[in-house]
Amino acid sequence: MRQALTRYIIRRGLQSLFLVWIATLIGFTIYQLAPGGPLQFLDDDPKRTAADFERLSALYGLNRPILVQYLAWLAGEDWFVLLPGGAAWQSGQCRANPERCGRGILRLDFGRSFYFKGSNVIDLIAERIPATFMLGFSSLVISVAVGIPSGIYAALNRGKLPDHIIRVTTVLVNTVPEWWIGLLLLIILGGYLRLVPLGGMETIGDGSLLDRLHHLALPAIVSAISGWISISRIMRFEMLEVLNQDYVRTARAKGLPEHLVIWRHVLRNAILPFVTGLSGIFLIFLSGSILFELVFSWPGMGRLAVIAINSRDYPVMMGLFVISSFLGIIGVLMVDILYGFVDPRVKYEL
Amino acid sequence: MKGYRYPAHWLMVILVVFALLATQCAPSSTPTPEAQATPTAASTETGAPVVEQQLTPTVAATLEVSQQVITQVVEESEAAKAREPQKGITVVSDEDVTTPRTKRGGEYKDVATSDAVSFHPYLTTDTASSSYQGMVYTGGLLRLDENTLQYIPNMAEQYSISEDGLTFTFHLRKGMLWSDGQPITARDFEWTYQQVINPANEFPYLSQLEFIKSYKALDDYTLEIKIDKVYCPSLGQMSGLITPLPKHVWEKLPWNDPDKNPEMNKPSVVSGPYKLVEWKRDQYAVFEANENYWYHGAPNISRYVIEIVPDQDVAYQKMKTGESDTGPITPDKLKEARQLPNITVYEWWPAAALWSYIGLNMRSGFPTHDLHVRRGLSYAIDKDLLTQEVMQGQAKRLCSVYPETSWVYNPDVPCYDYDPEKAIAEFQQAGYTFQDGKMVDQNGKQLRLKLLFGPNTSKTRELIAVTVQDYLRRIGVETDIQAMEWSAYLEALHSNEPDWDMYIGAWQATIEPHIMYTIWAEENIPQLNSVAYINKEVEKLFEEAGSNCDVEFRKERYQKIQRIIAEDAPYIFLFYNKSWSGQNKRIKGIIPTALGIGWNMEDWYIEESPTP
Repeated sequence: MRQALTRYIIRRGLQSLFLVWIATLIGFTIYQLAPGGPLQFLDDDPKRTAADFERLSALYGLNRPILVQYLAWLAGEDWFVLLPGGAAWQSGQCRANPERCGRGILRLDFGRSFYFKGSNVIDLIAERIPATFMLGFSSLVISVAVGIPSGIYAALNRGKLPDHIIRVTTVLVNTVPEWWIGLLLLIILGGYLRLVPLGGMETIGDGSLLDRLHHLALPAIVSAISGWISISRIMRFEMLEVLNQDYVRTARAKGLPEHLVIWRHVLRNAILPFVTGLSGIFLIFLSGSILFELVFSWPGMGRLAVIAINSRDYPVMMGLFVISSFLGIIGVLMVDILYGFVDPRVKYEL
Repeated sequence: MKGYRYPAHWLMVILVVFALLATQCAPSSTPTPEAQATPTAASTETGAPVVEQQLTPTVAATLEVSQQVITQVVEESEAAKAREPQKGITVVSDEDVTTPRTKRGGEYKDVATSDAVSFHPYLTTDTASSSYQGMVYTGGLLRLDENTLQYIPNMAEQYSISEDGLTFTFHLRKGMLWSDGQPITARDFEWTYQQVINPANEFPYLSQLEFIKSYKALDDYTLEIKIDKVYCPSLGQMSGLITPLPKHVWEKLPWNDPDKNPEMNKPSVVSGPYKLVEWKRDQYAVFEANENYWYHGAPNISRYVIEIVPDQDVAYQKMKTGESDTGPITPDKLKEARQLPNITVYEWWPAAALWSYIGLNMRSGFPTHDLHVRRGLSYAIDKDLLTQEVMQGQAKRLCSVYPETSWVYNPDVPCYDYDPEKAIAEFQQAGYTFQDGKMVDQNGKQLRLKLLFGPNTSKTRELIAVTVQDYLRRIGVETDIQAMEWSAYLEALHSNEPDWDMYIGAWQATIEPHIMYTIWAEENIPQLNSVAYINKEVEKLFEEAGSNCDVEFRKERYQKIQRIIAEDAPYIFLFYNKSWSGQNKRIKGIIPTALGIGWNMEDWYIEESPTP
């Protein structure tokens, strides 16, 4: 079993790496095909001439074919000199100063940002990861804490008033985009009632735990809405499925008290998918945070992604792409492995 | 095994979809020029025209206010006529710059919807960064007088121009200090200039320095700048060309590597009114008064905080609740903002006004290649109505290249006032027939034109587009409107083989009229001159006006240019905008002029009273 698991992890890991590689290739091409480029800020600027544009293009190596740029991003450009005529493939910056040569993602060099004027991409991402995780994790906690009980409650009262109320509420809330709810609540609670701050992560010059929680409350609750709805629905569905199982009928038939039937037989089986799926759900929260980060000016990776996309900052976009892919892979692997532990029937086939 | 809930190949699909969606996103954080709230607005002094990024709709201004401000602007234009010729002169200032300010203390809370990128003055191009840099660095040898709009001594207490107009000598004030107590000298200017002109140092606007032949520090307090040939805007351009960096700190550091040069993102030795205390990217920046600031010492307001907020609505809410002292007022909120008990809305007609137009594609093969078609289109649209209804009184009609606020403004140009009959007559001259409500060409086909606008989020431009469509339908011309994301719009505009007939655009006017040459020069097709306007006479007039600095001579040339361009009708000129800014009433000392309100920001002070 142990050995099979190790082999399974290695196989899946390699598979995933291959997938990430393909994804980066596609991502890089798509970014390149989008109109504009890292120098588009100069496009509409009468202070520059065509010569300025060409000089900067050459300096940053943006005048090279896409494949060469991809290769430089992937494997670095310092070794280009080893190829015959390869020096011409290096960016102007790299030729002028070997310290500025890219080393490539394979050597864990994420490159430097265009928009942030030479800042290291990995630093830019690293300084934003905590904010994103904080928001993602708190909304996960909230949606689980609300979603599971409400799902259970709805299932147990199937067809009765509480079930209808919960169902109608979830449908209603689901028809409105959450970011819009967020903006609305922000303006009502923050603007008119002044119960919560108008966005941001901390008050300037404060930053105490209480202050941070105060800032976190509304974004966490709003971004938990969609998770709460889907968790509550799945929970209700799983509960109903388990309630129809023969062993539940058996338990009831042998005279077990109803609360024990629910607690010991129904709940345990119905909740299984959540235990294993938590890391996956967390990932969805991370990726779904972009809009909320925008609405609540939360300084996380989502906001960085939007800046990078709007300014066509390839290195930052690709960096975020790779990091989020890796987070995804780790999440998926964890789900698979956890599943094996929780459900002994699962075999890791090779 | 029993089903995965999150298989890896799904992950990849999601990522790719995300990438696809992402590249389609429209710019959301571009600043809106009219709603700009940053008090450092006077940076357009020497700048070139800037294409406006995004335009938002406007609502109601009281006529009273407008007229009052108009008088002010007209007076200033009169004053501006009295510009002295720029040869063989010496100008000395006896302005007292040492008396300290007296109303010091307090904190000003600013909000912004986009954060700066870097404090490095020679790498960035965005407005947020330049306003941050303007807090900590100062570099104007001369500055524009807020009343006469003439250049007057600033960091240079005296300047002279040689008889041939090619050598400029600036004498710096003695006693100006960096924040660490070291003197600011001409050596700092010269060293900075030499770094900037190194092509490997990434300065985006290197071509702006090409007119300079040499830039030398003769001694610690004398700068000598030489140019090749007489160029009238040069004094203005030189005055703000180099913002000196502290040579004694920077020369040990790599110029453009943020890993090894901490000064790039956290300047420690500065020359501006404020020092940086803390900058948390995408969250906030905190500044404190620089006691060593050369102009009357520390500014009145001791702390200056900029908070980054998600969008203009939230920023406006912050101003309303008193969480910030200023905030952007989108045109639709203007009426409400004027009624806010804690806010004063300052309004002015800026010398560097933003003006809107419809560009007409002049390339052969397009219907608008024909002069009569262009004139017909100009007659067919009621521009007064557009100005009044779309801009709700926050704009004024424009008939040619320079708005009324310019000192070279020519009122005597064809303005194409709304006249559908004249429009039809012009089309008939171009070989079209107006029958059964349709404008048909010789082959009997109805005329269809494609109108482009971007960004697709701009409500003002959308409104202009549908209004134009409606007016053209009345003379039997069909219009296909295409709204585009900003980058895609620029790409379509700057294409070598455009497929559009018309587009909606805007330029920021400049105080120096010569800068507008770039948008009419043949060499700038298709970038700045997207309509492909070619008129050698106009280019000749611009060249003459740029090389003979006699005021009357220049004025005559620019006026002639305005008439010729209006007659050629490459654009349908629409209107130019008013500017405004909301400030908390506790902030005193604000004086709106044609330069905006930021020009005397250091003299603003805080009168403590409960907010709001």
